[in-house]
Amino acid sequence: MEGFITLLRDAGAVAILTVRAFFAFFKAPMEITPVTYQLDHSGIRSWSITVLTALFTGMVLALQFATGLEPYGGSMYTGKLVSLGIVRELGPTLTALLVGGRVGSGFAAELGSMVVSEQVDAIRSLGADPIKKLVAPRVLACIIALPLLTILADGVGVFGGLLITMREVGVTAKFFFTQVKDTLGMVDLLHGLAKSVFFGYFIGILGCFIGLNTTGGTEGVGQSTTKAVVTTAITLLVSNYVLSTIFVAIYG
Amino acid sequence: MDERNSPSSPPTREPLIEFTGVKKRFGPKVIYEDATLSIYPGETITILGGSGTGKSVLIKMLIGLLRADAGSIKAFGHEVTTMNEAQLLSVRTRIAMLFQSGALFDSLTVEQNIKYPLREHAWGTDAQMKARVEEVLEMVGMPGSQKLKPAELSGGMRKRVGLARAIAIQPEVILYDEPTTGLDPVNVRRINGLILSLQAKLGVTSIVVTHDMDSCFTVTDRIAMLYDKRIAFVGTADETETCTIPYVREFIRGGRGVLSEDVV
Repeated sequence: MEGFITLLRDAGAVAILTVRAFFAFFKAPMEITPVTYQLDHSGIRSWSITVLTALFTGMVLALQFATGLEPYGGSMYTGKLVSLGIVRELGPTLTALLVGGRVGSGFAAELGSMVVSEQVDAIRSLGADPIKKLVAPRVLACIIALPLLTILADGVGVFGGLLITMREVGVTAKFFFTQVKDTLGMVDLLHGLAKSVFFGYFIGILGCFIGLNTTGGTEGVGQSTTKAVVTTAITLLVSNYVLSTIFVAIYG
Repeated sequence: MDERNSPSSPPTREPLIEFTGVKKRFGPKVIYEDATLSIYPGETITILGGSGTGKSVLIKMLIGLLRADAGSIKAFGHEVTTMNEAQLLSVRTRIAMLFQSGALFDSLTVEQNIKYPLREHAWGTDAQMKARVEEVLEMVGMPGSQKLKPAELSGGMRKRVGLARAIAIQPEVILYDEPTTGLDPVNVRRINGLILSLQAKLGVTSIVVTHDMDSCFTVTDRIAMLYDKRIAFVGTADETETCTIPYVREFIRGGRGVLSEDVV
């Protein structure tokens, strides 16, 4: 029961932090440079793990479908299944999990260190707002970066699927892409991208929230980092199901 | 006011800062039950107390970094405890704080660190800010260190840059949180010298939180001692030296390396 109350209290605190970050960002003077810095630092620099994850996920998905469907004569549909699986589900979700682990833990460690070394207090004492300076640019950068990384993951994942499908099933690239084109609609792409916007928000806000609530010196920073990885991963997985349910109900 | 809290010669001016009946607790741990203290313009007052007695908490409550649970804290005649973050801005432009570790921003250079408050308060043009950075670095004895990163600085240098950042926007009050803790004797003397010279040059009011007795007697006009969750004693350096209250004597003797009879 106590755990549930803590969960509710933290959820409320995250909601309040979100609202404060939103208004802080738009409060004059609007600062774009920190957002572009974070976009580079957190988003663009995550491209390599995104590409690697997506490539091998697309490849293994194609391998499993091609061999698994073969007894039923369905291996020709590998392209359809791989593209649908990547674009609607695995592209956004795995990208978010990987980037969440990298970026969310980074935010928690960085902000946590700033808290324990009194830098956050220093920001306040110098007349600035830590939420505007630290939280708003990070959350916004994640919200912008995740859909872009997801598009990258979708493309690379489908490409990985193509390579293995060509080898395992013996189809041509043209056949594969025709299947992909026939299968995927704009709704599928938007389904994945819409989820990635929420994922970006969760990664940014949870990393910052956990970092800002760090206590207990350097040991606390370590604990915050671990907590950020676990909390972000669980939130992403649970929210993925909830968001998918909503989007499927609305758009099919 | 507590009957033990009886400054024999308080300045006759109106207090600049007043703590009245302040209460503060963190969870079950009570830090202050009834803290009352007046601080007068232009004086240097040292707040003494053992580790964990909440010395830093008191000055953090003054600029709203921590909130008092009850009681009144007035700065420049305005009640701080009821101010929101936007209102606290006016207090924070007049009261600067030197944090224990300097609290420099790791990702910024010394120059960018000192420009930080100047930018926030739209202090002037870039050239004016640059000149101000040079000026305050000169004041703290670190000219030419603009391009260094905090990681390249020693503990004493970090504190001096932190002090330069604190005085950049010309505050009326400077709060020093353990300014000499963790420093070697040369740096301790240097920081104490800075506190004294800033006091002389800028005429600021200084509140120094420390458990370093030697520093305390070097820089201070008055001493306030925390004991039993309240400001239990306030007096001049001489009054503190000759004070007969047991815990004050004990603290002073302990702080100066004299073992008490109990310990012996």
